[in-house]
Amino acid sequence: MPDKPTDLVQGTLDMLILKTLALEPMHGYGIAVRIEQVSKGVFRVNAGSLFVAFQRLQRAGLIRSEWKATENSRRAKYYALTEQGRKRLNTETREWGRQVAAITRILEAS
Amino acid sequence: MFLRDLATGLRSLFRKERVERELDEELNGFLEMAVEEKIKQGMRRKEALRAVRLERGGLDATKEEVRAAGWESFVETCWQDLHYAARMLRKSPGFTTVAVLTLALGIGANTAVYSVIDAVFLKPLPYPHSEQIVMVWEDVHLPHYKNNQNTPAPGNFAHWKRRNSVFSGMAAIGYRSWNLTGSAEPARIEGEAFSSDIFSVLQTYPALGRPFTPEEDRPGSSHVALLGYGLWASRFGGDLSAIGRKILLDGEDYTVVGVMPPDFRFPDPDDQLYVPLALTDEQLANHGSHYLRIVARLKDGVTLAQAQSEMSLIGRQLTEQHPDSNTGVGVSVISLRDQIAGSMRRPLFVLSAVVGLLLLMVCANVANLLLARASAREREFAVRAALGASRSRVARQLLIESLLLGLLGGAVGLALAFGGINALRGFAPVNQAFARAQLDSRVCLFTLVVSLLSAVIFGLVPAFQSSNHGVAGSLKEGTRGSEPREHLRVRGALTVVEMALGVVVLVGTGLLLRSFVHLQNIPLGFQSDNMLTIRVVLRGPRYATAEQRSIFYQQAFERIATISGVRSVAGISFLPLTMQGRTTGVSIEGQAPLAPGQLPFADFRDVSPEYFSTMRIPILQGRDFSWRDTPATSSVVVVSQSMARAFWPNGDAIGKRIKLGPLDGSDPWITVVGIVANVRQLELATEPRPAMYFPVTQASVTGDTLRDWVIRTSGHPAAFGSAIRSAVWSLDSSVPVSRIQTMEQVRISYLGPQRFELSLVGLFGIIGLVLAAIGLYGVTAYAVSRRTCEIGIRMTLGAQRHDVLRLVISNGAKLAIIGVAAGSAGALALTRLMNDLLFQVTPTDPATFAAVALLLVLVALAACYIPARRATCVDPVVALRYE
Repeated sequence: MPDKPTDLVQGTLDMLILKTLALEPMHGYGIAVRIEQVSKGVFRVNAGSLFVAFQRLQRAGLIRSEWKATENSRRAKYYALTEQGRKRLNTETREWGRQVAAITRILEAS
Repeated sequence: MFLRDLATGLRSLFRKERVERELDEELNGFLEMAVEEKIKQGMRRKEALRAVRLERGGLDATKEEVRAAGWESFVETCWQDLHYAARMLRKSPGFTTVAVLTLALGIGANTAVYSVIDAVFLKPLPYPHSEQIVMVWEDVHLPHYKNNQNTPAPGNFAHWKRRNSVFSGMAAIGYRSWNLTGSAEPARIEGEAFSSDIFSVLQTYPALGRPFTPEEDRPGSSHVALLGYGLWASRFGGDLSAIGRKILLDGEDYTVVGVMPPDFRFPDPDDQLYVPLALTDEQLANHGSHYLRIVARLKDGVTLAQAQSEMSLIGRQLTEQHPDSNTGVGVSVISLRDQIAGSMRRPLFVLSAVVGLLLLMVCANVANLLLARASAREREFAVRAALGASRSRVARQLLIESLLLGLLGGAVGLALAFGGINALRGFAPVNQAFARAQLDSRVCLFTLVVSLLSAVIFGLVPAFQSSNHGVAGSLKEGTRGSEPREHLRVRGALTVVEMALGVVVLVGTGLLLRSFVHLQNIPLGFQSDNMLTIRVVLRGPRYATAEQRSIFYQQAFERIATISGVRSVAGISFLPLTMQGRTTGVSIEGQAPLAPGQLPFADFRDVSPEYFSTMRIPILQGRDFSWRDTPATSSVVVVSQSMARAFWPNGDAIGKRIKLGPLDGSDPWITVVGIVANVRQLELATEPRPAMYFPVTQASVTGDTLRDWVIRTSGHPAAFGSAIRSAVWSLDSSVPVSRIQTMEQVRISYLGPQRFELSLVGLFGIIGLVLAAIGLYGVTAYAVSRRTCEIGIRMTLGAQRHDVLRLVISNGAKLAIIGVAAGSAGALALTRLMNDLLFQVTPTDPATFAAVALLLVLVALAACYIPARRATCVDPVVALRYE
């Protein structure tokens, strides 16, 4: 039995959404499921934070949205990365790597 | 990015439904997909729904979360609060009306006073780079005469202009007046003579036609004139063909070369016509006659202080070169703005202090009302808090209500101020500054700021108080419908503040009132009732000599005297209380010659025979003039009592001789033939200066004419105006008769500025008193209603009516006495600032302080008495059941 899913580290949700959308445009539920699957169930995303994040990213021009039919022929809003979003993802990934490496070094220092 | 945020935010604000629907659909889809997933894993639908709601959050909560994330939600809730606030205000029209009206009074008064301050001190004058324009005066400092704004002599002006390096231009102005004759009724026109530099100094040019040329500004050149806009419109019908036309001024032809712009009011607002000054070489060499006004423009980069120091230096050089005329004569440079603001500074300062205090009182009052209302609404807030409204949200709601009240008050106040400014203009003594006061965008901005600021001041206390309360406590207290104790304390404190401010305003009013009464009661030295005055100025070749004029005066006086009801008639060169007159140095026969500048000064005027008896000025010794005092007989003078005492302390003035100017001068000896009682000629408030009266029949001594005529009548004087004018015109129909007014009107308009200040401050004082009374009444009434039950118990236990009365009133009286004490202390500190406006009253006048304190305490007791009486009428049974 895996540990109980935890909330995301503050401020990382945006990055995860961008990363997920880097593969292909996706609707909200798809994004949530994908984050949970890839994290192997460590993270769970609730609807409120997810949609607030969509609103925020869209207003910042990092993602755009479009109503499309799903594979089950249900109507859903699909989100896709913009050029600006792709650039942001790159810088944030680099920055994240730097920070994680630094934190790891601190934690492992004896 | 910011723009996109703005655009999306606006879209959600204005296409709310559509955005809502989209969010709804998207979220529903999201949750539905999650449910389907669970069902696929084998859950039943109902279980799946429950699980999803637990894991992902419910639909409505999520929607609320998303909605609250954007900035537009803040706007939206504010909008809701505003709606709600408007509804609350509508629901209690009584409270709203009282609050808005008192606010409007406070804000309106401040707006009106600010509009004047703006016009006087802040708004640029209507000349380009007006901050460079200065007035240059002689700064005279002599043993018997001190004046830092003495009108310069043309010789000094010429010297200043030649030597200075600080001014880009310097122009002289001389007062002029004319009889304008020709087609229409003869008219008396006042105006100025300008040197031709004036246009470049002011950088202001005629609206039509052209300015004077330097050639026209030389003596003996052709006569040209510029019309004031008002004269052009009234006398020439605004006709363009007026330019180039010839007009008759004092019987001589002048060619109109242009019309000045409509807002040109330099140097006096009443000026109607302008001609070139054309100083002669002889005048330009004269350092002894002082009659010009000088305006100059500072060079770029030169400060007022630099100009002052260079001009002072030039002044000292002049004193060395011309010790006889320039001893004790320096130079003072004053900016045009200070010149115009001049005497307005102190009264405006006091007025703005008074309206500022008034606004504070209004704020305290409205805060009081709001607190009372807040107590009544305690339950409403508690319920809202219980339903999840945060404290800050409730406080915001209250602040928005306050802001709405403030803005409503500001809007009504603006309307009041509009009326007020017009009233001020009609009522105020003539002043350029008032003419320019108006409600423009600057003043409206001021009103907005003041309204918001007041709203914050009076809204903060209740907002803070309400957010300070525990929910449970409020709900419990609320059910008893009483006011929390601390509200009552705060309201008591506010009332004390109001009383204190009221004392300050009323003490100011009282001091001005006492000064005014003192001024009113000063003996003028003449009787102003039943007396008409007119202005008749003789000009042109028919009246060139003193003899010609004397004949006209004698004949005209005879004709006027035959009108039935006219008792006597006479004339003088300068009417008392019109702020005009002449002064000269005097030498006394037999005394040692004095150094230049050491001569004693005396005022002088020309009068006709019977002037003293017509004005009821007692002749104490000697005789009046008669028409038989002519240039052929010896020169005579009548002196005032103060002159007789100052010059001949032994009381033997009659028969002594004096000379105008220095002892060795060429002027004739003049014999004193009479002594008359003192008259307050120039100023009411100061002791009469030494004064001399010369017979107009010997006008060669002074060169003056009888400009103002006085007619004593047996009936109401105003009714005689037209008969008197006809009498003058029956002799010569080309002589203008102007300024027909009763002497009483002259006196009243002299007191105009004081009356003006007094009425304004008094009005504000009364408003302040009413506000303080309302505040105290409100607090006492609330305290009584809170203690209804307690009073009931007391009365059941045998308390008498007067015990209850005393209990309630003593509470109110305590507040009143604290307020009066604090206010008196404040007034002691503040009234010192109005010392200049007071006359024969000290700023700490004990009588005024005592009267104001008594008045306020009485008003306070009355305000407490009404609720106290109501308390005594409490039926103990009802009061106990109430619980």
